[in-house]
Amino acid sequence: MMRVMASEFIKIRRKMILFLVFLGPIGVIGLEAVNFGIRYDWLTGVYKDDLWRGLIGEVAMLSIPTILIGLTILTSMIANIEHQTNAWKQLLALPISKTKVFTGKFLLSVLLLFLSCLLLASGTVLLGLLLKFGTNIPFLYLFKMCFFPCLASLPFIAVQTWLAITIKNQAIPLTLGIIGAIVSMYSMNFPDWVPLKWPLLLNDWDKPIYSVLAGLVTGILLYFMSLIDFNRRDVK
Amino acid sequence: MSDFIIETSRLTKKFGSRKVVDHVDLKVKKGEIYGFLGPNGAGKTTTIRMLLGLARPTKGSIQIFGKDIRKEKLAILKKVGSLVEYPSYYGHLSAYENLEAVRILLDVPKSRIDEVLSIVRLTNDAKRPVKGFSLGMKQRLGIATALLGNPELLILDEPTNGLDPSGIIEIRELIKSMPKEHGITIVVSSHLLSEIDQMATQVGIISKGRMIFQDSISTLRAQSTSKIKLTVNDVESAWKTLLTHGYTTDLSQNNLFIENGSDEKVAEIVKSLVQNDYSIYRVEEERKSLEEIFLELTGKEGGL
Ligand SMILES: Nc1ncnc2c1ncn2[C@@H]1O[C@H](COP(=O)(O)OP(=O)(O)OP(=O)(O)O)[C@@H](O)[C@H]1O
Ligand SMILES: [Mg+2]
Repeated sequence: MMRVMASEFIKIRRKMILFLVFLGPIGVIGLEAVNFGIRYDWLTGVYKDDLWRGLIGEVAMLSIPTILIGLTILTSMIANIEHQTNAWKQLLALPISKTKVFTGKFLLSVLLLFLSCLLLASGTVLLGLLLKFGTNIPFLYLFKMCFFPCLASLPFIAVQTWLAITIKNQAIPLTLGIIGAIVSMYSMNFPDWVPLKWPLLLNDWDKPIYSVLAGLVTGILLYFMSLIDFNRRDVK
Repeated sequence: MSDFIIETSRLTKKFGSRKVVDHVDLKVKKGEIYGFLGPNGAGKTTTIRMLLGLARPTKGSIQIFGKDIRKEKLAILKKVGSLVEYPSYYGHLSAYENLEAVRILLDVPKSRIDEVLSIVRLTNDAKRPVKGFSLGMKQRLGIATALLGNPELLILDEPTNGLDPSGIIEIRELIKSMPKEHGITIVVSSHLLSEIDQMATQVGIISKGRMIFQDSISTLRAQSTSKIKLTVNDVESAWKTLLTHGYTTDLSQNNLFIENGSDEKVAEIVKSLVQNDYSIYRVEEERKSLEEIFLELTGKEGGL
């Protein structure tokens, strides 16, 4: 599996993929910088009890649609490396199981998304310091708010990976993913069982971890289902 | 264990209700260059995809190196190099990086990259992005990739497709040198008999999904029976006269043809024509070219 990942990392060289991984968090932090820059007095008024929590909350809100759109583009670009010149037939005629190939693509998306989340967390700290919110940073809360939406999005990573790999025409997974991201922005009043709501970390129990757990379990389940389907299919 | 490197049994692939590969018994011996021949759409690529485990047979079995592909696919693929249809490559990467991405998966030493690059003579272009390569160079990179894992069996699907004559000769020489130098067994598909004729030792001809000939290339050549062509004045009446004397000939293109005629029979027919006052301009022997045999064989199955 290490070899599969090493090969995947060679293949994303000189692609826009890594640029995208940086663009997402930089965009979010940039927008929040503008947000706090313009409405500094008002926002510091609203969040006067805990400035850091206020900032982190704002960042997390904006990061959710960014994560969903980002993962859609990411999974599509990763699959497209093979689609572009029909490299699937070469890749899958190598002595590597289809399971490893699929898992490699899935894992690459997850890793890159985590990297984005890490950058987001660092960016948030940087912004908070620049805004002179002090050094009493609630790190646990910060990491929760940066990584939980990502973890709760695991079902989408699985589904988008599967769509992007099985459908050659990338317009389809891209469209579906972006529709999903938009719908999820308006999903706070959806019932709790709707997966699109999970990245928002909202539920009747007010426990974000429940959304994360639901996402993880469903995500792993969907990963296995996609994997079975991928193994069954003839290579194009 | 049989002495075949590849042995398929009643291999069948259906797309919907259409049988694209139909009960094919492919047999390839060690050290052969097996020419897999068939017109466009005959099912060559589909068969090769099944050999590589890329497509699942609808029916039938595949044994490679005496192992069942359903049970030991990865063990088989470890010793197989392949190039299916047009070459696959990662255009944004250099030739070297392309090979490195595959090398890591195969777990062979790094030095192997330079070796295969020099075999296909791409050493000087190794650092350029592959998207700027000519088709011939991409094809050679494809072959280099196929050779990377020191395969014992090389499966090449139309490796000379789209190449110019010098590119074709180059690839052909490369293929011909493999069994001698490295003891590799090769399956190479083509829709051109002349191609196969110049490199293969064994031939399998597939048409409409069915294997219609499988033997050595010399056996195929032996099928090139000759016929005698007679050019005479007034062919039609000559043909009728011969018929009334009990000789059947074929009339076509204003000539009479005697199929499989013994020397005596030819002599009798000529004599009979002379006695009936026909002018005989020419008596010639016509040998069928391999191309004609191929067309005839595939034609029997309903034409191209
Ligand atoms: N995935 C598929 N779905 C449906 N039909 C297919 C599929 N793949 C191939 N076919 C059909 O199977 C037939 C055989 O195709 P194949 O590519 O094996 O032929 P071929 O002998 O390789 O021809 P060529 O010389 O043109 O490469 C064709 O008629 C093709 O249309
Ligand atoms: Mg073909």
